Amino acid sequence: MNCAYYPGCSAHALAREYDRSARLVCQRLGIHLTEVQDWNCCGATAAHSLDHELAVSLCARNLAIINRMSLDRVTTPCAGCFNRLKSVSFELKNAATLKAKIEQAIDAPLDRLPEIVHLLQLLVQDIGPEGLAKHVVKPLRGLKLAAYYGCLITRPHKVVAFDDPEQPSSMDRILEVLGAQTVKWSHKAECCGGGFAASETSIVLDLSGQVLEAARQAGAEAIVVACPMCQANLDTRQEAVEKGRGTRYNLPIVYFTQLLGLAYGYPSGRMGLRRLIVSPLPLLKKKGLI
Amino acid sequence: MGPDFYIPMRLNEVDDSLQKEIKENLGVDLEMCLECGKCSGGCSNGQSFDYTPRKIVQLVKFNDEETLLSMDALWICLSCQLCLDRCPSGIDLPRLLDYLRAKAYRKGLRASRPQVQLFYELMLSSVRKIGRVSEFPVILQFNWKTGQYLKDAHLGLTMFLKGKLSFLSPHVKEKEKVRRLFNGSPVESRGNNR
Repeated sequence: MNCAYYPGCSAHALAREYDRSARLVCQRLGIHLTEVQDWNCCGATAAHSLDHELAVSLCARNLAIINRMSLDRVTTPCAGCFNRLKSVSFELKNAATLKAKIEQAIDAPLDRLPEIVHLLQLLVQDIGPEGLAKHVVKPLRGLKLAAYYGCLITRPHKVVAFDDPEQPSSMDRILEVLGAQTVKWSHKAECCGGGFAASETSIVLDLSGQVLEAARQAGAEAIVVACPMCQANLDTRQEAVEKGRGTRYNLPIVYFTQLLGLAYGYPSGRMGLRRLIVSPLPLLKKKGLI
Repeated sequence: MGPDFYIPMRLNEVDDSLQKEIKENLGVDLEMCLECGKCSGGCSNGQSFDYTPRKIVQLVKFNDEETLLSMDALWICLSCQLCLDRCPSGIDLPRLLDYLRAKAYRKGLRASRPQVQLFYELMLSSVRKIGRVSEFPVILQFNWKTGQYLKDAHLGLTMFLKGKLSFLSPHVKEKEKVRRLFNGSPVESRGNNR
Protein backbone atom coordinates (compact mmCIF):
# COMPACT_ATOMS: atom_id res chain seq x y z
CA MET A 1 0.00 0.00 0.00
CA ASN A 2 1.34 3.44 -0.97
CA CYS A 3 0.56 6.57 0.99
CA ALA A 4 2.00 10.07 1.23
CA TYR A 5 3.33 10.89 4.70
CA TYR A 6 3.09 14.29 6.39
CA PRO A 7 5.23 14.20 9.57
CA GLY A 8 4.41 17.68 10.91
CA CYS A 9 6.81 20.05 12.69
CA SER A 10 6.90 18.18 16.00
CA ALA A 11 8.39 15.11 14.27
CA HIS A 12 11.79 16.79 14.22
CA ALA A 13 12.30 17.13 17.95
CA LEU A 14 9.40 17.10 20.40
CA ALA A 15 7.79 13.94 19.02
CA ARG A 16 10.68 12.33 17.16
CA GLU A 17 9.90 8.99 18.84
CA TYR A 18 6.36 9.14 17.42
CA ASP A 19 7.63 9.75 13.88
CA ARG A 20 10.29 7.02 14.11
CA SER A 21 8.00 4.40 15.63
CA ALA A 22 5.25 5.25 13.11
CA ARG A 23 7.61 4.74 10.18
CA LEU A 24 8.93 1.42 11.53
CA VAL A 25 5.46 0.06 12.29
CA CYS A 26 4.22 1.01 8.80
CA GLN A 27 7.24 -0.70 7.27
CA ARG A 28 6.40 -3.89 9.18
CA LEU A 29 2.80 -3.67 7.97
CA GLY A 30 3.80 -3.24 4.34
CA ILE A 31 2.64 0.38 4.13
CA HIS A 32 5.00 2.31 1.89
CA LEU A 33 5.19 5.91 3.15
CA THR A 34 6.56 8.66 0.92
CA GLU A 35 7.26 11.91 2.76
CA VAL A 36 5.49 14.92 1.25
CA GLN A 37 8.24 16.77 -0.65
CA ASP A 38 9.24 20.08 0.88
CA TRP A 39 6.14 20.21 3.07
CA ASN A 40 5.44 23.30 5.15
CA CYS A 41 3.78 23.75 8.54
CA CYS A 42 0.00 23.29 8.53
CA GLY A 43 -0.33 26.55 10.46
CA ALA A 44 -1.69 24.77 13.54
CA THR A 45 -3.96 26.71 15.90
CA ALA A 46 -1.92 29.88 15.41
CA ALA A 47 -2.84 30.45 11.74
CA HIS A 48 -6.58 29.82 11.92
CA SER A 49 -6.76 31.87 15.10
CA LEU A 50 -5.44 35.02 13.43
CA ASP A 51 -5.99 34.75 9.67
CA HIS A 52 -8.34 32.26 8.05
CA GLU A 53 -7.05 32.65 4.49
CA LEU A 54 -3.45 32.22 5.59
CA ALA A 55 -4.45 29.01 7.41
CA VAL A 56 -6.16 27.69 4.28
CA SER A 57 -3.31 28.56 1.95
CA LEU A 58 -0.62 26.98 4.18
CA CYS A 59 -2.46 23.64 4.08
CA ALA A 60 -3.44 24.03 0.44
CA ARG A 61 0.23 24.25 -0.63
CA ASN A 62 0.82 20.84 0.97
CA LEU A 63 -2.28 19.33 -0.66
CA ALA A 64 -1.15 20.59 -4.08
CA ILE A 65 2.30 19.04 -3.58
CA ILE A 66 0.70 15.67 -2.75
CA ASN A 67 -1.26 15.93 -6.00
CA ARG A 68 1.94 16.52 -7.95
CA MET A 69 3.44 13.42 -6.31
CA SER A 70 0.57 11.44 -7.90
CA LEU A 71 -0.52 10.03 -4.57
CA ASP A 72 -4.22 10.10 -3.80
CA ARG A 73 -3.88 9.69 -0.06
CA VAL A 74 -1.89 11.24 2.75
CA THR A 75 -1.50 10.14 6.33
CA THR A 76 -0.15 12.03 9.32
CA PRO A 77 0.51 10.90 12.89
CA CYS A 78 -0.34 14.37 14.30
CA ALA A 79 -3.95 15.04 15.28
CA GLY A 80 -3.46 18.78 14.80
CA CYS A 81 -2.03 18.49 11.27
CA PHE A 82 -4.71 15.93 10.41
CA ASN A 83 -7.48 18.24 11.57
CA ARG A 84 -6.09 21.27 9.72
CA LEU A 85 -5.48 19.43 6.43
CA LYS A 86 -8.88 17.79 6.62
CA SER A 87 -10.74 21.00 7.50
CA VAL A 88 -9.06 22.90 4.67
CA SER A 89 -9.80 20.14 2.18
CA PHE A 90 -13.44 20.14 3.33
CA GLU A 91 -13.70 23.88 2.89
CA LEU A 92 -12.00 23.91 -0.53
CA LYS A 93 -14.53 21.36 -1.78
CA ASN A 94 -17.43 23.50 -0.59
CA ALA A 95 -16.33 27.08 -1.26
CA ALA A 96 -15.62 27.80 -4.93
CA THR A 97 -14.70 31.49 -4.53
CA LEU A 98 -12.21 30.77 -1.78
CA LYS A 99 -10.75 27.88 -3.81
CA ALA A 100 -10.07 30.17 -6.77
CA LYS A 101 -8.40 32.73 -4.53
CA ILE A 102 -6.21 30.15 -2.82
CA GLU A 103 -5.22 28.54 -6.14
CA GLN A 104 -3.91 31.93 -7.16
CA ALA A 105 -2.02 32.37 -3.88
CA ILE A 106 -0.28 29.00 -4.08
CA ASP A 107 -0.05 29.06 -7.88
CA ALA A 108 -1.34 25.50 -8.27
CA PRO A 109 -4.67 23.85 -9.09
CA LEU A 110 -6.79 22.31 -6.35
CA ASP A 111 -9.40 20.46 -8.39
CA ARG A 112 -8.27 17.10 -7.18
CA LEU A 113 -7.63 16.77 -3.47
CA PRO A 114 -5.97 13.81 -1.77
CA GLU A 115 -7.83 11.82 0.84
CA ILE A 116 -6.53 12.69 4.32
CA VAL A 117 -6.37 10.00 7.00
CA HIS A 118 -4.92 10.05 10.48
CA LEU A 119 -2.39 7.25 11.06
CA LEU A 120 -4.70 5.67 13.63
CA GLN A 121 -7.47 5.67 11.05
CA LEU A 122 -5.21 4.19 8.37
CA LEU A 123 -4.21 1.29 10.63
CA VAL A 124 -7.72 0.58 11.91
CA GLN A 125 -9.53 0.94 8.60
CA ASP A 126 -7.03 -0.40 6.10
CA ILE A 127 -5.06 -3.00 8.03
CA GLY A 128 -7.80 -3.74 10.58
CA PRO A 129 -7.48 -5.22 14.06
CA GLU A 130 -6.96 -8.76 12.70
CA GLY A 131 -4.28 -7.58 10.28
CA LEU A 132 -2.56 -5.72 13.11
CA ALA A 133 -2.76 -8.78 15.37
CA LYS A 134 -0.98 -10.99 12.82
CA HIS A 135 2.39 -9.34 13.45
CA VAL A 136 2.32 -9.53 17.25
CA VAL A 137 5.26 -11.50 18.61
CA LYS A 138 5.24 -10.13 22.15
CA PRO A 139 1.68 -9.64 23.47
CA LEU A 140 1.32 -6.73 25.89
CA ARG A 141 -0.31 -8.93 28.50
CA GLY A 142 -0.99 -7.48 31.91
CA LEU A 143 -0.94 -3.82 30.85
CA LYS A 144 -3.95 -1.72 31.87
CA LEU A 145 -4.14 1.21 29.49
CA ALA A 146 -6.30 4.30 29.03
CA ALA A 147 -6.74 5.08 25.33
CA TYR A 148 -6.85 8.87 25.04
CA TYR A 149 -8.08 10.46 21.80
CA GLY A 150 -8.31 14.13 22.69
CA CYS A 151 -10.18 16.53 20.43
CA LEU A 152 -8.91 16.73 16.92
CA ILE A 153 -8.84 13.14 15.67
CA THR A 154 -12.61 12.73 15.95
CA ARG A 155 -13.97 16.29 15.90
CA PRO A 156 -15.78 17.90 14.20
CA HIS A 157 -17.40 14.71 13.05
CA LYS A 158 -18.97 16.18 9.90
CA VAL A 159 -15.46 17.10 8.71
CA VAL A 160 -13.19 14.30 9.92
CA ALA A 161 -15.81 11.51 9.66
CA PHE A 162 -13.81 9.10 11.79
CA ASP A 163 -14.79 7.10 14.87
CA ASP A 164 -17.27 8.39 17.45
CA PRO A 165 -16.63 11.94 18.71
CA GLU A 166 -18.01 11.23 22.20
CA GLN A 167 -17.05 7.57 22.76
CA PRO A 168 -14.23 6.74 20.35
CA SER A 169 -13.02 3.13 20.36
CA SER A 170 -10.57 2.61 17.47
CA MET A 171 -7.43 2.86 19.61
CA ASP A 172 -8.95 0.62 22.28
CA ARG A 173 -9.44 -2.07 19.63
CA ILE A 174 -5.81 -1.82 18.53
CA LEU A 175 -4.51 -2.06 22.11
CA GLU A 176 -6.76 -5.03 22.80
CA VAL A 177 -5.49 -7.03 19.81
CA LEU A 178 -1.97 -6.32 21.07
CA GLY A 179 -2.96 -8.21 24.21
CA ALA A 180 -3.38 -5.24 26.57
CA GLN A 181 -6.43 -4.43 28.64
CA THR A 182 -8.12 -1.04 28.17
CA VAL A 183 -10.02 0.76 30.90
CA LYS A 184 -13.45 2.32 30.62
CA TRP A 185 -13.07 5.97 31.48
CA SER A 186 -14.71 9.35 31.24
CA HIS A 187 -12.06 11.53 29.62
CA LYS A 188 -11.23 9.77 26.33
CA ALA A 189 -12.24 12.73 24.21
CA GLU A 190 -11.79 15.63 26.63
CA CYS A 191 -9.32 18.42 25.84
CA CYS A 192 -5.77 18.46 27.30
CA GLY A 193 -5.39 22.22 26.89
CA GLY A 194 -3.98 22.09 23.36
CA GLY A 195 -1.48 24.73 22.32
CA PHE A 196 -1.61 26.76 25.54
CA ALA A 197 1.27 25.00 27.35
CA ALA A 198 3.55 28.03 27.07
CA SER A 199 1.12 30.95 26.83
CA GLU A 200 -1.58 29.96 29.34
CA THR A 201 0.08 27.21 31.34
CA SER A 202 -2.60 27.20 34.06
CA ILE A 203 -5.28 26.11 31.55
CA VAL A 204 -3.15 23.12 30.55
CA LEU A 205 -2.48 22.23 34.19
CA ASP A 206 -6.22 22.34 34.88
CA LEU A 207 -7.40 20.33 31.87
CA SER A 208 -4.51 17.87 31.66
CA GLY A 209 -4.86 17.43 35.42
CA GLN A 210 -8.48 16.36 34.98
CA VAL A 211 -7.47 13.83 32.31
CA LEU A 212 -4.69 12.38 34.48
CA GLU A 213 -7.02 12.16 37.49
CA ALA A 214 -9.72 10.39 35.45
CA ALA A 215 -7.19 7.87 34.12
CA ARG A 216 -5.90 7.21 37.64
CA GLN A 217 -9.43 6.69 38.97
CA ALA A 218 -10.13 4.21 36.18
CA GLY A 219 -7.09 2.18 37.28
CA ALA A 220 -4.93 2.81 34.21
CA GLU A 221 -1.20 2.20 34.44
CA ALA A 222 -0.41 4.35 31.41
CA ILE A 223 -2.21 6.65 28.95
CA VAL A 224 -1.89 5.94 25.24
CA VAL A 225 -2.04 8.85 22.77
CA ALA A 226 -2.10 9.57 19.05
CA CYS A 227 -1.17 13.26 19.11
CA PRO A 228 2.13 15.04 19.92
CA MET A 229 0.33 17.90 21.66
CA CYS A 230 -1.64 15.60 23.97
CA GLN A 231 1.55 13.68 24.72
CA ALA A 232 3.55 16.82 25.51
CA ASN A 233 0.90 18.32 27.77
CA LEU A 234 0.19 15.17 29.78
CA ASP A 235 3.85 14.15 30.01
CA THR A 236 5.83 17.37 30.43
CA ARG A 237 3.27 19.03 32.72
CA GLN A 238 2.59 15.97 34.85
CA GLU A 239 5.06 16.92 37.58
CA ALA A 240 3.48 20.38 37.93
CA VAL A 241 -0.01 18.84 37.96
CA GLU A 242 1.11 16.46 40.71
CA LYS A 243 2.39 19.38 42.79
CA GLY A 244 -0.79 21.38 42.26
CA ARG A 245 -3.14 18.52 43.08
CA GLY A 246 -1.00 16.88 45.73
CA THR A 247 -1.42 13.51 44.04
CA ARG A 248 1.29 11.33 42.56
CA TYR A 249 0.21 10.00 39.16
CA ASN A 250 3.38 8.57 37.64
CA LEU A 251 1.44 7.75 34.47
CA PRO A 252 3.63 7.22 31.40
CA ILE A 253 2.15 8.87 28.28
CA VAL A 254 2.97 6.52 25.41
CA TYR A 255 2.30 6.80 21.67
CA PHE A 256 0.18 3.97 20.28
CA THR A 257 2.84 3.34 17.62
CA GLN A 258 5.45 2.74 20.34
CA LEU A 259 3.29 -0.01 21.81
CA LEU A 260 2.61 -1.50 18.39
CA GLY A 261 6.35 -1.61 17.76
CA LEU A 262 7.03 -3.18 21.14
CA ALA A 263 4.43 -5.89 20.50
CA TYR A 264 5.96 -6.43 17.06
CA GLY A 265 9.30 -7.23 18.67
CA TYR A 266 11.22 -3.99 18.10
CA PRO A 267 13.64 -3.23 20.95
CA SER A 268 12.47 -0.49 23.31
CA GLY A 269 15.39 1.71 22.24
CA ARG A 270 14.20 1.87 18.64
CA MET A 271 10.74 2.84 19.84
CA GLY A 272 12.24 5.81 21.71
CA LEU A 273 10.65 4.85 25.03
CA ARG A 274 13.53 6.46 26.91
CA ARG A 275 12.63 9.84 25.45
CA LEU A 276 9.40 10.12 27.43
CA ILE A 277 9.62 12.32 30.54
CA VAL A 278 7.58 9.99 32.79
CA SER A 279 9.48 6.80 32.08
CA PRO A 280 7.43 3.79 31.00
CA LEU A 281 10.44 1.50 31.52
CA PRO A 282 9.78 0.46 35.16
CA LEU A 283 6.18 -0.49 34.28
CA LEU A 284 7.23 -2.43 31.19
CA LYS A 285 9.98 -4.21 33.13
CA LYS A 286 7.52 -5.14 35.87
CA LYS A 287 5.26 -6.73 33.25
CA GLY A 288 8.17 -8.54 31.66
CA LEU A 289 7.78 -6.69 28.36
CA ILE A 290 11.35 -5.37 28.13
CA MET B 1 -19.95 45.79 31.61
CA GLY B 2 -21.64 43.86 28.86
CA PRO B 3 -25.35 43.71 28.27
CA ASP B 4 -27.78 42.34 30.80
CA PHE B 5 -28.84 38.93 29.53
CA TYR B 6 -31.71 38.66 31.92
CA ILE B 7 -33.77 41.59 30.75
CA PRO B 8 -36.16 40.44 28.01
CA MET B 9 -35.33 42.15 24.78
CA ARG B 10 -37.19 42.52 21.53
CA LEU B 11 -34.68 41.24 19.03
CA ASN B 12 -36.73 42.52 16.12
CA GLU B 13 -35.97 46.03 17.36
CA VAL B 14 -32.22 45.43 17.34
CA ASP B 15 -29.92 46.06 14.41
CA ASP B 16 -28.99 42.64 13.01
CA SER B 17 -26.14 43.71 10.75
CA LEU B 18 -23.47 41.62 12.52
CA GLN B 19 -25.63 38.51 12.39
CA LYS B 20 -26.12 39.09 8.64
CA GLU B 21 -22.40 39.72 8.12
CA ILE B 22 -21.60 36.41 9.83
CA LYS B 23 -24.13 34.53 7.75
CA GLU B 24 -22.83 36.03 4.52
CA ASN B 25 -19.11 35.65 5.25
CA LEU B 26 -19.07 32.33 7.07
CA GLY B 27 -22.32 30.63 6.17
CA VAL B 28 -22.95 30.39 9.92
CA ASP B 29 -26.65 30.95 10.49
CA LEU B 30 -27.39 31.93 14.07
CA GLU B 31 -31.15 31.90 13.36
CA MET B 32 -30.73 28.14 13.67
CA CYS B 33 -29.75 28.43 17.36
CA LEU B 34 -32.28 26.56 19.52
CA GLU B 35 -30.94 28.19 22.69
CA CYS B 36 -30.43 24.75 24.24
CA GLY B 37 -27.07 25.68 25.78
CA LYS B 38 -25.29 22.42 24.94
CA CYS B 39 -22.37 24.49 23.60
CA SER B 40 -21.85 26.13 26.97
CA GLY B 41 -22.46 22.96 28.93
CA GLY B 42 -19.79 21.10 26.97
CA CYS B 43 -17.24 23.89 26.49
CA SER B 44 -13.81 22.53 27.54
CA ASN B 45 -12.69 25.85 28.97
CA GLY B 46 -16.11 27.39 29.66
CA GLN B 47 -15.45 27.77 33.37
CA SER B 48 -12.85 30.42 32.49
CA PHE B 49 -14.85 32.23 29.79
CA ASP B 50 -16.26 35.70 30.50
CA TYR B 51 -18.97 34.96 27.93
CA THR B 52 -19.83 31.30 27.39
CA PRO B 53 -20.65 30.12 23.84
CA ARG B 54 -24.40 30.42 24.38
CA LYS B 55 -23.96 34.02 25.50
CA ILE B 56 -21.68 34.75 22.55
CA VAL B 57 -24.53 33.81 20.19
CA GLN B 58 -26.77 36.16 22.11
CA LEU B 59 -24.20 38.97 21.90
CA VAL B 60 -24.25 38.62 18.12
CA LYS B 61 -28.03 38.91 18.21
CA PHE B 62 -27.65 42.03 20.38
CA ASN B 63 -25.28 43.31 17.68
CA ASP B 64 -22.77 44.06 20.43
CA GLU B 65 -19.59 43.99 18.37
CA GLU B 66 -17.64 45.99 20.92
CA THR B 67 -18.06 43.33 23.60
CA LEU B 68 -17.50 40.50 21.13
CA LEU B 69 -14.19 41.87 19.85
CA SER B 70 -12.80 42.58 23.30
CA MET B 71 -14.06 39.56 25.26
CA ASP B 72 -11.58 37.29 26.99
CA ALA B 73 -13.20 34.13 25.57
CA LEU B 74 -11.70 34.93 22.14
CA TRP B 75 -8.18 34.30 23.43
CA ILE B 76 -8.77 31.27 25.62
CA CYS B 77 -10.97 29.23 23.28
CA LEU B 78 -9.08 25.95 22.78
CA SER B 79 -10.58 25.23 19.34
CA CYS B 80 -11.49 21.80 20.70
CA GLN B 81 -14.60 21.67 18.47
CA LEU B 82 -16.86 20.28 21.22
CA CYS B 83 -19.50 23.02 20.89
CA LEU B 84 -19.75 22.42 17.15
CA ASP B 85 -20.15 18.68 17.51
CA ARG B 86 -22.74 18.96 20.25
CA CYS B 87 -24.84 21.66 18.59
CA PRO B 88 -28.11 20.11 17.33
CA SER B 89 -28.13 22.69 14.56
CA GLY B 90 -24.47 22.23 13.62
CA ILE B 91 -23.60 25.88 14.22
CA ASP B 92 -19.87 26.36 13.70
CA LEU B 93 -19.00 28.38 16.79
CA PRO B 94 -15.22 27.74 16.59
CA ARG B 95 -15.29 29.31 13.14
CA LEU B 96 -17.32 32.24 14.48
CA LEU B 97 -14.73 32.81 17.24
CA ASP B 98 -11.90 32.61 14.69
CA TYR B 99 -13.70 35.23 12.63
CA LEU B 100 -14.21 37.61 15.55
CA ARG B 101 -10.63 37.15 16.80
CA ALA B 102 -9.22 37.77 13.33
CA LYS B 103 -11.38 40.87 13.04
CA ALA B 104 -10.16 42.20 16.39
CA TYR B 105 -6.59 41.42 15.37
CA ARG B 106 -6.92 43.15 12.02
CA LYS B 107 -8.32 46.24 13.74
CA GLY B 108 -5.28 46.26 16.02
CA LEU B 109 -7.36 45.94 19.20
CA ARG B 110 -5.46 44.96 22.33
CA ALA B 111 -5.97 41.28 23.12
CA SER B 112 -7.18 40.46 26.63
CA ARG B 113 -4.38 37.87 26.74
CA PRO B 114 -1.48 39.49 24.86
CA GLN B 115 0.76 36.51 25.61
CA VAL B 116 -1.59 34.18 23.69
CA GLN B 117 -1.50 36.49 20.68
CA LEU B 118 2.28 36.81 21.00
CA PHE B 119 2.73 33.03 21.03
CA TYR B 120 0.61 32.67 17.88
CA GLU B 121 2.64 35.42 16.20
CA LEU B 122 5.97 33.85 17.12
CA MET B 123 4.85 30.48 15.76
CA LEU B 124 3.75 32.09 12.51
CA SER B 125 6.92 34.14 12.33
CA SER B 126 8.85 30.85 12.36
CA VAL B 127 6.63 29.49 9.58
CA ARG B 128 7.18 32.66 7.57
CA LYS B 129 10.95 32.48 7.99
CA ILE B 130 11.68 28.77 7.55
CA GLY B 131 8.35 27.28 6.47
CA ARG B 132 8.01 25.30 9.68
CA VAL B 133 7.70 25.76 13.42
CA SER B 134 10.93 25.31 15.30
CA GLU B 135 9.54 24.81 18.80
CA PHE B 136 12.56 25.54 20.94
CA PRO B 137 13.47 28.95 19.46
CA VAL B 138 9.77 29.93 19.57
CA ILE B 139 9.58 29.14 23.29
CA LEU B 140 12.87 30.91 24.04
CA GLN B 141 11.66 34.03 22.20
CA PHE B 142 8.34 33.82 24.02
CA ASN B 143 9.98 33.66 27.44
CA TRP B 144 12.35 36.46 26.50
CA LYS B 145 9.64 38.80 25.21
CA THR B 146 7.36 38.17 28.17
CA GLY B 147 10.22 38.71 30.62
CA GLN B 148 9.85 35.21 32.08
CA TYR B 149 13.49 34.35 31.58
CA LEU B 150 13.43 31.25 33.73
CA LYS B 151 9.93 29.99 32.95
CA ASP B 152 10.04 26.20 32.75
CA ALA B 153 13.85 26.27 32.79
CA HIS B 154 14.05 23.03 34.76
CA LEU B 155 11.55 21.29 32.47
CA GLY B 156 13.35 22.73 29.45
CA LEU B 157 16.64 21.23 30.59
CA THR B 158 15.06 17.80 31.07
CA MET B 159 13.47 18.01 27.63
CA PHE B 160 16.71 19.19 26.06
CA LEU B 161 18.61 16.27 27.55
CA LYS B 162 15.96 13.90 26.19
CA GLY B 163 16.43 15.41 22.73
CA LYS B 164 12.92 16.84 22.73
CA LEU B 165 14.08 20.37 21.97
CA SER B 166 16.12 21.16 18.92
CA PHE B 167 17.60 24.39 17.64
CA LEU B 168 17.93 23.17 14.10
CA SER B 169 14.71 22.24 12.37
CA PRO B 170 15.07 21.43 8.69
CA HIS B 171 13.95 24.39 6.58
CA VAL B 172 11.54 24.30 3.67
CA LYS B 173 13.49 24.65 0.41
CA GLU B 174 10.93 26.83 -1.36
CA LYS B 175 10.91 29.35 1.48
CA GLU B 176 9.90 32.19 -0.85
CA LYS B 177 6.74 30.36 -1.88
CA VAL B 178 5.69 29.94 1.73
CA ARG B 179 6.62 33.53 2.58
CA ARG B 180 4.45 34.78 -0.28
CA LEU B 181 1.40 33.28 1.41
CA PHE B 182 1.85 35.88 4.18
CA ASN B 183 1.55 38.81 1.73
CA GLY B 184 -1.24 41.13 2.81
CA SER B 185 -1.89 39.15 5.98
CA PRO B 186 -2.18 41.17 9.21
CA VAL B 187 0.20 38.58 10.64
CA GLU B 188 2.91 39.94 8.36
CA SER B 189 2.37 43.60 9.17
CA ARG B 190 1.85 43.10 12.89
CA GLY B 191 3.81 39.99 13.74
CA ASN B 192 7.01 39.77 11.72
CA ASN B 193 9.17 42.23 13.58
CA ARG B 194 8.54 40.82 16.98
